[in-house]
Amino acid sequence: MSLVVIGLSHRSAAVDVRERFAYAEAQVAPTLAKLRDSGLAREAVLLSTCNRVELYVAPVRPAREAASELREFLVADRAVSGPLGGELYAHTDQTGVEHLFKVACGLDSLVLGETEILGQLKQAYDLALAAGHTGRVLNKAFQGAFNVAKKIRSETQIQRGNTSVASVAVDLADKIFDGLSGRDVMVIGAGDTSEKTARALLGRGARSLFVSNRSFDRAAALAAELGGQAVHFDGWESEFARIDIVVSSTSAPHHILDRPKLERLLKLRAPRPLLLIDIAVPRDIDPEVRFLDGVYLANVDDLQGIADEHLRNRRDEVVRCEAIIRDKARGLVAALGFPADGVRAMVLDRPRGV
Amino acid sequence: MLTDRSWFTIAVALYGVSAVYSVLLWRRGFREDNRVLYAMLSGGAALHTWAMFQRGFALDRCPINNLFEASMFIAWTIVAAYLVIGAFRRLRFLGAFASPLLAAIGVFALFPMLDHRGPKPEFSHAWESLHAASVLLSYGAFGLSAVAALMYLTQEHDLKFHRARAVLALMPPIQRLEKVISGLLAAGFVLLTVGLALGAWWLKQAKGYFVSDDPKIVWSALVWVAYGVLLALRGKLGAGGRRFAWGVIGAFVFVLLTFWGTNLPSPIHHP
Repeated sequence: MSLVVIGLSHRSAAVDVRERFAYAEAQVAPTLAKLRDSGLAREAVLLSTCNRVELYVAPVRPAREAASELREFLVADRAVSGPLGGELYAHTDQTGVEHLFKVACGLDSLVLGETEILGQLKQAYDLALAAGHTGRVLNKAFQGAFNVAKKIRSETQIQRGNTSVASVAVDLADKIFDGLSGRDVMVIGAGDTSEKTARALLGRGARSLFVSNRSFDRAAALAAELGGQAVHFDGWESEFARIDIVVSSTSAPHHILDRPKLERLLKLRAPRPLLLIDIAVPRDIDPEVRFLDGVYLANVDDLQGIADEHLRNRRDEVVRCEAIIRDKARGLVAALGFPADGVRAMVLDRPRGV
Repeated sequence: MLTDRSWFTIAVALYGVSAVYSVLLWRRGFREDNRVLYAMLSGGAALHTWAMFQRGFALDRCPINNLFEASMFIAWTIVAAYLVIGAFRRLRFLGAFASPLLAAIGVFALFPMLDHRGPKPEFSHAWESLHAASVLLSYGAFGLSAVAALMYLTQEHDLKFHRARAVLALMPPIQRLEKVISGLLAAGFVLLTVGLALGAWWLKQAKGYFVSDDPKIVWSALVWVAYGVLLALRGKLGAGGRRFAWGVIGAFVFVLLTFWGTNLPSPIHHP
């Protein structure tokens, strides 16, 4: 009894190769059926995301032979005809289990520690389970992976802190406001990052959005897309009294909001915190405003710095996570009776005709 | 067999260790789960409670007859309230700010001359005990609101000048802290009002007048007015509540520094 993982990911293959191997959701179940009918696999799960395509297989034949055959199957099934180098990798038994656990925990993801992959892995497993393509080996391996992911999440910092500017801005808002629902957001300058930040804030429950831009058409387009309200650029101050969070990213060469102006505007608001997110370069908001009571200001360097620190913290946690994974994988391998000398990133012969 | 003072001394030692551990948590930016701190303060609270029970059973009444017992009672209300509030994970770091205060009140309480065993104050009836307990409970609530205000100021400063530390800290949002401060302050004010009303009622029964120029009574009235003004001005002291937080801390520091001094010259409270 053994386990083979074969596939490719953002680590081994560029997007133009990954897209040739990608499977649409509707193609997964028929492919698994075809694989089992071919006599190569007793059990199989197929994971296909934008960053990876992987087959998890309990093979009929010994793992090393099965790996080459599975590679041939994958290449033929996707009808990939161009030259392939080391894009496809294989992991067997112990290292296969470790790889599955790492994928589940986001350790093999483009954004270290991200959690979306766990949902995608659960979906891939559920699909195979529902179609009857899993058995003792993959059921235990995937259940083990989900449990390890839970343990890693609760016992390490690998998933702590966001790593994008937009998400960090939301984290900052979370540290100021007692919940984001009921907060009103104003975007001044409809740029890409401000749009992402506004989306993130709305996604976390912000009540309403006002968009102001020098080009009113652009403001109206973004407001319509996000379900907000467009405001003329020379009239944004009139809406200021109700605003809790300002995201500013204009291309103005000078501060559009300085301390005297903000002091005047604050008098129009009920006393409550105000978060100013300045992602413009040159900056839109005078840094002096941070000394005002109840005013919290973050510029793009502040947010990027926090994102970088989160990433550094996550990297520092990798060793701890790997130790947990090795330990849990050893337990599973012993329970399933795999050989303990699995091969990592096995070099495979090229399939015939490629 | 350990005496009530011995149990209390061990509890204060635990509060001291918690205070040292709190410094480590602070230096690490309040990032780690603080179950250890909560466990240490729970242990201290258990010993503290046992000491209070021992003293209470020995006296056959609520142990609030001298400055040692009153200090012990105030510290107990603070730690007990913290244990309840700390059940909410995001508010648990309140303990990091409360433990130095608990250790300080505990050390003060253990000064030998405070455990005065002379004539008891005139707390011979349940109403008088209730008066004293209500007032001391209110000081516990004011103490904890001052601790929450300190937590607020720390997080507010970090949000302005050390944003990475603020975002990574396992601390509640400052708006929630503002609510906690206000809630504790309001609870303390109600308890103080009830306690002072009971005291005035007792004074009328015993002496025939509601108020007197007893230093403790005058001081208590001043404290009541100060907290009343603080609550009345709530919401008008600035959007971020920084000045309100400083006001809460200042009021409690005033209580801490003057509570003991006004107790001694009061013939009613320190016969």
